[in-house]
Amino acid sequence: MNPIEVKNLSFQYEKNTRKILDNLELTVAAGEIVAIVGLSGIGKSTLCYCLSGIIPHVYGGIMTGHVYLNGRDTRDLTLPQIATTLGIVFQNPDNQLFSFTVEDEVAFGPENLCLPPEEIECRVTDALEKVGMLKFRHANPQQLSGGQRQLIALASVLSLQPEILIFDEAMSQIDRRGKKMILEMMLKLKAEGRTIVMIEHDLENLFVADRVLVLKDGRLAPFAGKLS
Amino acid sequence: MIVLENVSFCYTADNWILKQVDLEIANGSCTFVVGPNGGGKTTLGKLMAGILKPSLGDVYLEQQNTKDLALFQIGTKVGYLFQEPERQIFAATVRDELAFVMDLKEMAKEEINKRVEAALERFQLKEVENSYPFQLSRGEKQRLALAAILMHQPSFLILDEPTTGLDLERKEILSQVIRQLKEQGIGMVIISHDEKFIQNHADRILMVDGGEVKDVG
Amino acid sequence: MWAKMICLDPRTKLFMVLTVSSLAVFITNLSLLLCVLLLALAAVAFTGGNPLGLLKKLKKFLLIFVVIVFVQSIFTKGGQPVWQVLNFTVVSDLGLVRGLQMILRFFIIISSAAIMTTAKPREIIQGLVQCKIPYELAFMVTIAIRFLPILRDEVNDILTAIQLRGVNLKQIPLMKRLKTYAYLIMPMITSVLLKAQELSVAMEMRAFRAYPRRTSLRTLKMQKQDYLIIALCFFVFLLVVVLALKIK
Repeated sequence: MNPIEVKNLSFQYEKNTRKILDNLELTVAAGEIVAIVGLSGIGKSTLCYCLSGIIPHVYGGIMTGHVYLNGRDTRDLTLPQIATTLGIVFQNPDNQLFSFTVEDEVAFGPENLCLPPEEIECRVTDALEKVGMLKFRHANPQQLSGGQRQLIALASVLSLQPEILIFDEAMSQIDRRGKKMILEMMLKLKAEGRTIVMIEHDLENLFVADRVLVLKDGRLAPFAGKLS
Repeated sequence: MIVLENVSFCYTADNWILKQVDLEIANGSCTFVVGPNGGGKTTLGKLMAGILKPSLGDVYLEQQNTKDLALFQIGTKVGYLFQEPERQIFAATVRDELAFVMDLKEMAKEEINKRVEAALERFQLKEVENSYPFQLSRGEKQRLALAAILMHQPSFLILDEPTTGLDLERKEILSQVIRQLKEQGIGMVIISHDEKFIQNHADRILMVDGGEVKDVG
Repeated sequence: MWAKMICLDPRTKLFMVLTVSSLAVFITNLSLLLCVLLLALAAVAFTGGNPLGLLKKLKKFLLIFVVIVFVQSIFTKGGQPVWQVLNFTVVSDLGLVRGLQMILRFFIIISSAAIMTTAKPREIIQGLVQCKIPYELAFMVTIAIRFLPILRDEVNDILTAIQLRGVNLKQIPLMKRLKTYAYLIMPMITSVLLKAQELSVAMEMRAFRAYPRRTSLRTLKMQKQDYLIIALCFFVFLLVVVLALKIK
């Protein structure tokens, strides 16, 4: 069973507006890194939201077709259920991190799941170790660099232990050093058997991907070098 | 010309972001400012734009000391494009965004319309002239902000990380705009870490690190 | 100083704030209000805050206070004139008293709020939650606090940006002033809304509000000094109320 299977996915915000996604199909195998590129405004983030269940659970619109995560339709799952299967790191670290210490931020997810404090403690330590930020445990995220903040955002998602990770242009607002940190993390996570979907602008980041697809006219096609 | 004379800057007494910087930026040139995050690139940009006043030393814009200039007077000499276009878009339609300042100053309606039409054409915003600016794509918002700044005909532009969040095609459009501005003789200081972009446009590259500014290539 | 040796539970601090603020609201006698203010400042110092720094910041409001005294004098009937201009009472004794009451109350409330700034925000959330306040509310409050400095920076950028466009904020013709402010509000509101939306999605994707309760990595336990301070607060409250009634 593939971690992600998308069948006949179509989406438009309202009737009689442009179909952003049009009978889109996608299969991602376990342990794969798939990159999705495309012009700005073409619908890459919309696709992200559909994959992660944000559409239809948070944002509305007309969605037809199915998104299956580990065989289960996102429509039949609640967001908290999805959260333990799929984690998403967004573009802007400032709008994902809200806690005053790194530890609080990474503990946030497990606390929401009502896990006992000892388990939360374990998960926080593991997640921070994985991203190499354990020594910043008591730091204020606002005082870290952009790349470091994205690593904390990643850790705060990893503490929920999802198998699937989506990076929605997660490197577009950080400098070269930061990008390197994130790309190295992606390879590390892949080596652990996790499945990664990365939405990208910067063609130079694509080398970590096993497959690159381009989103055009509402569908995905193998990327041959041109965005349009 | 922008001149920095022995400029030092700190936000708090124990942390000097820039130390004794001497710099001259010539008219019509395209200078890139690079360096690690938090190293002072944005601070340098804001000092050049007169948004920040130096703690020590002086900054001269066309021979006028920025300490003697109020912010509203600076706009005709130096334009500053924030990294987040949302912070400098104020109106409910694209057209109004370009027109409202002239409107507040009670300029003649025909003159306002003439200038607005010219700007819409030049920055390829004619199609969206009545759209709500916040619904535009990032690239369009940026072009709108640039168009609005250029209404004042400054001789210098300072751009803070303009390529962030732009895909290849939008970067190409931005490149065209920059080439046009260069041809018009408008000097530019661009803060960026986009290497290809730097290669394509830079006449001069300044590296800001540890409080010092050095010419590199 | 002492605060480093004595660590108070955020709930205790909350109690201190409530005690002082409610006294401020109900007491009308000026000397008692002044006493309450001094107590509040002492509490700020005790919890590790900076009462002198606070007073310095409040100096900025001096002009508003003067205006308040005038307004109270002009609009409150009765009371003997203290200062008249052309037979019109600009300051009356009743107005002076009312004005001073308002000012002292304002000072007291600001000081007591300063007590809360000495507590760690995550601990404040935990304190509120352990007091049975719904965690969504508690989070909302601290997130607002967390974003205040960012919003302040954005507001500064927005004001800078509009001035760089040639708008002289200090000399806008009266007719155009309202319109100009409308232009400023647009980017401010939009940025707040955008942030709120992105943050709430990120939080929901980390299972926020999955269940009606949530656990916590660190739990708060009340200690001896907390109970002591709370008892002290009760005592002070009763003392001040009794004095207030006696003076009446």
